[in-house]
Amino acid sequence: MMLLYVLLLPFVVTFLTPLMKPRLATAVSAVAFLIPFAYTIYGLASGLVVKIPVADVVHPIGRFYILGDQVSFSFALAICIVSAMVALYSLPYMAHRFEEMGRELESEYRKYIFFYNLYATSMLWLVFSGNFIMLYIFLEISLLASFLLIYMYGYGDRRRVATLYFVWTHIAGMLALIGFLMTAAANGSLAFDAIAKIGFVAWLLIFLGMIIKLPGLGPHVWLPWAHAEAPTPVSALLSPLTVGLGAYVILRAYLISPWFIKAYTMPIFVYGVVSSIYAGFMVFRQNDYKRLLAFSTISQMGYCLIAFGLGTYGIMAVIIQYISHAFGKAILFMTAGGIIANYHGLRDITKMGGMHEYIPTISNAALLGFMNLGGILTVGMFGEFFILKGVVDTFGLDISTILAVVFVFIISGLYSFYTYKRIYCGTPAGYEKVKVNRLLDTPLFIIGIVSILLIFPPLAAILLNAVKAVIAKVAIATIGGVAP
Amino acid sequence: MNWEIVLLFVAPVICSLPIAFYWVKEPGSDRARKLPMLSVFGLFISFVIAIHILLTYPNGTYTIPWLPEYNINFVFIFDYLSKYMGALTAFIAFMIGLYGLEYMKHDYRLGWYWFFFNMFTASMLLVVYSDNLLMLLIGWEGLGLASWGLIGHWFRDDDHLSYVGVVGRKVGPLKMYWPPSYGGWRAISTIRIGDMPMFFAVAAIYALTGNLNISQIHWGVLFTKIGLAGTVFLMLCFLMGPFTKSAQLPFSEWLMTAMTGPTTVSALLHSATMVAAGTYLFIRLSWYIHPWALHAVPGVSVLYYIVLLVGLFSALYGASVAIGCLERKVLLAASTMSSLGLMFGCAAASYWYGKLAVLIAFWYLMTHAFAKATLFLVAGHLIHATHDRFCCGDLNLAKKMKTAFIATIIATIALGGLPPLTAYWVKAGMDTVMHHIAETVGSLPLDLLLITSLLYSAFLAKFLSLNFWKGDKYHLHLHGEKLMPFAYACVVSMVFLLLYRILTGTDPLAETHLLEYGLDKDSFIVGLGVTGTYLFALVVPRIRALSPIGTFLGDRMYLPALNDFIVPSIGWAISKLIEYTHKAIDWFCHFGLPDGMLGISRRIRAIQVGYMRVYMKIALAFVMAAIVVSMLGWL
Amino acid sequence: MLDFSTVLALVILTVGAACSLKDVRISLATSLLALAIVLAAAVSTPQLFMYVLLVIAIGVLTVFSMSVKENQMSGIDYALVALITVITVYVAYTSDIAFVLASFVIASVPTYALIFVSTDGKPPHVDVAIKYIAFMVLATVLFIIGTLLLVYSSSVKDTALYTLGFVMLILGLGMEVGCAPMHEWVPDVFSAADPLPLSVIASITKIVPFIAAYKILLLTSLPQLSNLTLFVAFIAVISMFTGNIGALTAKETGRILAYSTVANMGYIIATLAVITSKNFLYLAFAGALLQLIVNAFGKASFFASIKTDGCSRPLMYVLALSFIGLPPLMGFWSKFFILTSLVGAGLVWLAFLLIVNSAISIPYYLRIARNLAKDTVPGKVTAIALVASAAMLITVLPPNWFINIAKMVIGGV
Repeated sequence: MMLLYVLLLPFVVTFLTPLMKPRLATAVSAVAFLIPFAYTIYGLASGLVVKIPVADVVHPIGRFYILGDQVSFSFALAICIVSAMVALYSLPYMAHRFEEMGRELESEYRKYIFFYNLYATSMLWLVFSGNFIMLYIFLEISLLASFLLIYMYGYGDRRRVATLYFVWTHIAGMLALIGFLMTAAANGSLAFDAIAKIGFVAWLLIFLGMIIKLPGLGPHVWLPWAHAEAPTPVSALLSPLTVGLGAYVILRAYLISPWFIKAYTMPIFVYGVVSSIYAGFMVFRQNDYKRLLAFSTISQMGYCLIAFGLGTYGIMAVIIQYISHAFGKAILFMTAGGIIANYHGLRDITKMGGMHEYIPTISNAALLGFMNLGGILTVGMFGEFFILKGVVDTFGLDISTILAVVFVFIISGLYSFYTYKRIYCGTPAGYEKVKVNRLLDTPLFIIGIVSILLIFPPLAAILLNAVKAVIAKVAIATIGGVAP
Repeated sequence: MNWEIVLLFVAPVICSLPIAFYWVKEPGSDRARKLPMLSVFGLFISFVIAIHILLTYPNGTYTIPWLPEYNINFVFIFDYLSKYMGALTAFIAFMIGLYGLEYMKHDYRLGWYWFFFNMFTASMLLVVYSDNLLMLLIGWEGLGLASWGLIGHWFRDDDHLSYVGVVGRKVGPLKMYWPPSYGGWRAISTIRIGDMPMFFAVAAIYALTGNLNISQIHWGVLFTKIGLAGTVFLMLCFLMGPFTKSAQLPFSEWLMTAMTGPTTVSALLHSATMVAAGTYLFIRLSWYIHPWALHAVPGVSVLYYIVLLVGLFSALYGASVAIGCLERKVLLAASTMSSLGLMFGCAAASYWYGKLAVLIAFWYLMTHAFAKATLFLVAGHLIHATHDRFCCGDLNLAKKMKTAFIATIIATIALGGLPPLTAYWVKAGMDTVMHHIAETVGSLPLDLLLITSLLYSAFLAKFLSLNFWKGDKYHLHLHGEKLMPFAYACVVSMVFLLLYRILTGTDPLAETHLLEYGLDKDSFIVGLGVTGTYLFALVVPRIRALSPIGTFLGDRMYLPALNDFIVPSIGWAISKLIEYTHKAIDWFCHFGLPDGMLGISRRIRAIQVGYMRVYMKIALAFVMAAIVVSMLGWL
Repeated sequence: MLDFSTVLALVILTVGAACSLKDVRISLATSLLALAIVLAAAVSTPQLFMYVLLVIAIGVLTVFSMSVKENQMSGIDYALVALITVITVYVAYTSDIAFVLASFVIASVPTYALIFVSTDGKPPHVDVAIKYIAFMVLATVLFIIGTLLLVYSSSVKDTALYTLGFVMLILGLGMEVGCAPMHEWVPDVFSAADPLPLSVIASITKIVPFIAAYKILLLTSLPQLSNLTLFVAFIAVISMFTGNIGALTAKETGRILAYSTVANMGYIIATLAVITSKNFLYLAFAGALLQLIVNAFGKASFFASIKTDGCSRPLMYVLALSFIGLPPLMGFWSKFFILTSLVGAGLVWLAFLLIVNSAISIPYYLRIARNLAKDTVPGKVTAIALVASAAMLITVLPPNWFINIAKMVIGGV
């Protein structure tokens, strides 16, 4: 029951914060996510598995219950810390944004913090959902909240971009919904523990839907728009947390009925590699900092697609990759926001250069972010390690697959440091040195430090042992799920 | 023992944090300028512990749990290699730290500098002492990151003294000058290209053996299992890491432009850390793979032959480039590359010659580390004193900077292989090894080694001559430095310690043999030849008639084209192609499709003409059609 | 109990309408009283109480929306709206074909009068009214003939006549509620007529035809029926696409709402394709009924808001998002039930097309909300929208109870 209270905390806070003053609301929101963060670490360390029934729904849908297992806790780890830190970051950033839009801080912030908390909470609940429909509902709530935030406070042609985002992700969700419903029709329930098998069409629809969300090559076109034009704190949740939840949904389906991924390992692997390389090359050509990061997201999510086909270690890599990308991209979007907030909407990289001169703390944070993307000295290192091990486990010493994966990793390292050089190094571009609001840089370092601590004991052992517990599950599921 | 080992790596990093944070808060304040002392103190702690380990620790491994469920742990190994290497690294780092206190006194980014400098040292120590490959990778990545941070330290690109190459010079499409930010990018990008295959190889070794401890893996069994192609592929992937880190062909360019960093960084990078990490790792691997005992295993011979040739060709290339170079630090960088090539070559010869070849390579590594650190530190002092990156100076300068002058003489002689100083004995060992293996692999390695040795002593002499005797005009700005001369004096004196060990033969493993090789007649003839070229180059440091060749060599045989032109051009072409594809998809999804939809929408709305009779016609026509079709279907 | 109270309500309504010539407020009071009586009577059937409550709520909302502005038949109009509401409640209880058919007619006829309503002394839109009435009459005729044919053919097991009857019934139904391709009247009427009567015509009047069609089809079902559902699906798809794509470029809010109605009717008529699947029939009907209720609440509020040039911003967005189908709003559950039933009955392709349509609809619903959104001012229309939005939020927890209602409504037949 402890888990339920911990989960209810941010939920309750969501409805309380609009009544508070901005500073208090921010602090309360951050604490409301830090407590679940501490709990997730406890959950990981103790190997906790919790099931709390919520409601019984009509016949083919089955029970709604809260499921807290090692997969949930691993994803929640990233969601909690990023949400908490971005909440802190929101205050100075949105103050800047409201000023820019000519709105009044106090009243607008009430709306903002409500939708922000709703957004983050729905994602947190999503990973603790024990039923696909429950999961879908939280998916759509998170979509709604993020949509409204973009719609109200985004940049550029914000209404158009928000609508575009809404349409794409709505299609994604609905496709998956049909897949779920077909599974429901076949199994008589959508509770995770009551599904025996997911059929071909259902799997395909779930997979396609989540490919849009993830996104893979092709349906990825919505992402650069949405992530670039969203207000930065929203980008800092959207890109690190939300899109990766596509991988979470596929992972859940995999843990129940892995045959689909196993049967189509090679196409998925190739698709992941192509997506990742494609987006990686696109990064080099971007001149808008946030748009650049959006492409990097596509590239990083390609890792997840690659990892899915790689057996048990691949599945572990998906989880680690989600965490590592969440940390890295959250930091990086916040650095982009830091520049925007301090230099009146500066996003054009061609007008930057030597920014380290003016905003050293943000520059250093960006380095931490890029380290996460490249898997250098951060938790992403394990992600890459498991992917590579998975490749060998699955394909043996097959030169083409190995070179493909290695090339993918090289590309992300290269664009990371290339971008860092373009923005923060070189001849200073001639701005005024500013005093950076502490809330615009400290949260970034906290996330960065967590990401580094996660490769050293004891946190590394806690996380990786928990992830290893997932393997046992996969082994069981493999026996249970047979191809049709 | 536990805390001491942890402290060895953590102390430098922890001690550099105060300056790192304080500098952000109050950059350039007086108090902040005192904090580097603390960082150097951190280096000192490491130094003391490393010496303690060298003198008292028994050989063996020590384990701290990390991921016990995965059979991956922090395994520290204490053996001949790691003890010596650790002490050497810690000593040189400490000395360069002292030097840096004075050298970097007026710098604008001390927080960054000291944090990465100490992290650099800690990472190298981690690489040196680790037996576990994943743990080694942490140090390895740390080295890459720290080197990137330090090479690009002067990120503003505003001081031409920090550039490499003649500013503004172009050859064809190539800009032949490189600012620090570019140097950093080149370093990290090259290293990334090598690290990822190496990372794969580590993962593959783990996947295949379930073990990551170098000293415990049954290499022979592993190689037999994966066969010839597998072995060569796996180990070449692994060696991509050492090759790129140690700047072997064709990955050498980053090392040349790494000279954009502060000289202290170059000194550390070139002697005991970074580049040495690559060769050290290869030496360590060979030490435990026992290639000399694996002649029955297919693939190992191919692998070692490849490494032998890569090493020796890189050595020759590096030496040739150094001959043509006039820039102080770039000359030394090219010479480092050459030395690293020799180490690779010599260690690779162990397949045919046995463990002793690995030892000789290691001894050369140590000799080179002390001598090269000295030369770099002197070069740094010279650059400070003359405000010139290019070689310049005369006897007058030598008189004013006596310590530097003497240290340079000792270092060049000791490193060039002139009898009777240190490198002579080591190089004699190398000659013997290459001579020995000529019976099986032909005389090519021996020839390459001899040419390289001659060139090597020549450019060292040239360095000495152009800076202290026959160089160009200069302006002198001495500031009464104390710590800097002290530091390189200490470092250079260490070559005598090595010499003492060799001559007395106190170490049962290597030194006795080295003495033996050095007293061989053939080795002595080579030594004489080397001395001859040294003296010749000392007197005639520049031959104007050959300057076109010199330019060609000094431009590094236009290898920069690979980094600056060929690879980027291909990359940009691909990315352009991809961008067009992306634009097409984007247009279709966000403009084409919606616009098409709007067109249909207008058509649908065009029905609404407002006339009742039209509406009724449509509705009734549909009703009739539906009824008729339903009847038809039934019939 | 209900029969009695219905009669009583009708009497009260008649009296009230007569008295309204003296004072409009009497009619308002009597209308509300009649609705209250029906609601009180419904307490005796707790299974259907929520349905009655929702319908009465819609009825009250529409009565209030008629009272936003005085019109030339003020007083009578309240009674007519209340009459439709009472019939909408009643049709759920009856399972006699004659009564069902009668309900269909009674729920439809009052709108012929309402369409003439105009406010501020403007002349009534006669041309629009004629279009509307012509289509309604044709629809009613088709529906009645279809019903009669179905009843007859099912008793003599004549499949040819049965097919004809089915097609005519569906065509009549489609024309009555405005399915494409017989939707031509909808955009014209919805954009030209006065928004106040439209808030009735577009909302509550849609419920009875569908319940009637369900009941009639179930009462007269022959095995032949399963072959005919494709025809329904066909009309549903045309209707969805026409409505949603048509709305994309429509400019006036009324016209967008017209196309949105066409699309919604497409979603609802699609559920008739599930009618032969015993396992998912109730789910399908629950989806249809819930979607009708969502549509009624939403349209009533939107049209009322058009009259006052907009309404409170958050309320408009809640209603629009409910139409889009976002959980946990009621609009999600209706679509969810429909999708579940379609997938369960094996009509995955239809479900897929429904999803495509739901995505196409997003931009214009947001446009409606944006067109109508303005700052909150207390008033009648705001109250209407507030009640409607509150209704959208009663399904935060999964509305299982609604399935039971669906079973009760069509389970007896």
